[in-house]
Amino acid sequence: MRRRVLTAMLLAMLLAGVSRADDDTRIAVVVHPSRQTVLSSEILTQIYLRRRRFWDDGAPIVPLNLAAGTPLRRTFSRLVLGQGEDRLAEYWNREYFHGVLPPATLASTRAIVRYVASDPNAIGYVPIDEVDASVRVVLSLP
Amino acid sequence: MGSVKPQSHAPAPSGRPRTPWRWACTVLVTVLLATPALGTPTLQPELGLDEGTAPSEEGPLLLHLPSPIGDLDYRAGRGLRVGNSGLTIGGFATAVGEILEGGKRDGGIDSLNFLISYRPLSFVHLFSEVELTEPLFLESGKEGLRAQAETSVDRLYADFGSSDAINLRVGQFLTPIGRWNLAPADPLVWTTSEPLLVEEVFDDTVKGAMLWGTLFPHQQALAYSLYGTFFNPITPDPDAVEPKHVAGARFEWTGVGGTSLGLSYSASQKHGGDPWHSLVGVDGEWLPHERVDFTCEALFGEGPRTNGAVNAFFIQGVVRTVSTLYVVGRYERFDTTRERAVDLFDLGLTWVPSPALRIKADYEFADHSDDRSPPGFRFSFSVLF
Repeated sequence: MRRRVLTAMLLAMLLAGVSRADDDTRIAVVVHPSRQTVLSSEILTQIYLRRRRFWDDGAPIVPLNLAAGTPLRRTFSRLVLGQGEDRLAEYWNREYFHGVLPPATLASTRAIVRYVASDPNAIGYVPIDEVDASVRVVLSLP
Repeated sequence: MGSVKPQSHAPAPSGRPRTPWRWACTVLVTVLLATPALGTPTLQPELGLDEGTAPSEEGPLLLHLPSPIGDLDYRAGRGLRVGNSGLTIGGFATAVGEILEGGKRDGGIDSLNFLISYRPLSFVHLFSEVELTEPLFLESGKEGLRAQAETSVDRLYADFGSSDAINLRVGQFLTPIGRWNLAPADPLVWTTSEPLLVEEVFDDTVKGAMLWGTLFPHQQALAYSLYGTFFNPITPDPDAVEPKHVAGARFEWTGVGGTSLGLSYSASQKHGGDPWHSLVGVDGEWLPHERVDFTCEALFGEGPRTNGAVNAFFIQGVVRTVSTLYVVGRYERFDTTRERAVDLFDLGLTWVPSPALRIKADYEFADHSDDRSPPGFRFSFSVLF
């Protein structure tokens, strides 16, 4: 019994450590290299809430998210959207009532880099150490 | 939308010509027919990317069916997406029950609403809400289940625009007065009943056109809408009085974090030659804590559904307690020049077991008996699909 408790405590400490590491991850917001744009975190908030829907040239912005529950998405939501998952779900329910869906998701940060590199209208976020020359960093968080 | 709004009883709808609706429908059909050849879906999973690299919509995938027009993907609370056509079909359903003081009891399926969204081009969005009202209802004093469902088109409009700053909406859409009326569906609100100031003062929809957009001064969001009526309703209600003309504006500032403040103005003329009446609204939402939400709305002036001036406001607080159980309280004061002012209280609990489900139970009472808001216990179950 005692061993189980110790194992559970150790596991919890490890998970807490992982979570802390994710919180410390520096995030790069990336776009296609052809898009010469400047972004602030406030504008990024408007983009990911789909209040800002178009680039300055009139092309539709395609914001990309990671799947719900992933640590990097939680960190991104906390830093950029400033709202918890429950409140965001409420927000997206109201938007759905008007035919607006939340940003599409991709399964991995690698997939986000690949997609952003191929679509001039896309924007995504990845750990800064996963950025390569195929995309352009427009903002670093935190 | 979620509940059937009482309509005032008075004569005859106005005699505006129906031609604009025919014209609007012709435009919509033309766009629908023309777009498959031109279509550029917002999401482009076919950019030469392999399986797993293509973006998918948010939410758990409950159904995936290949079809000749593309994969049919259904996600709970986010609708059925039809391939890359830009078409999404979803909706919500609401079951309600009430036990009123005085003995009246009823309950059943209150409404089944379908939301149809189509984005054939990046600058065109067609949207409709079709409601099936009371498909199955049981009422005290009457034998058996009542199944006299009526279908109505609550919203049907087209949005055109390729910038955030200015867009054009044409059709029948929710009247932008206050914030409750912009999302009045049962799965989106915290109580089973609507405030009187939402039900009794103005029409819930505008039948005409609206310029709308969002500006970003100092990197905050300032949304605006300027609208006017031009058409008859798509599904006319014989008991309702349609005002001859309505024009108005709304501005809403939203700060980072979700706190927002709105200002609405509406001018209406009930019949040709009548004087114009003004209605001013102020509303706000304050999120002081992750678990706490306060909203308020106030209306002053005369609306198309009122005889005489109205001074009304409500304030509502929602507090998240254990898990996803919320305590909700609302106070409303509704004061018109023609009737005695009423103070209304609504206290209840709302449980949100998942984002697409909402179960509510609340008790509404007033400082005196008032036909517009009979006191009693009400409950509802609603689901977004």
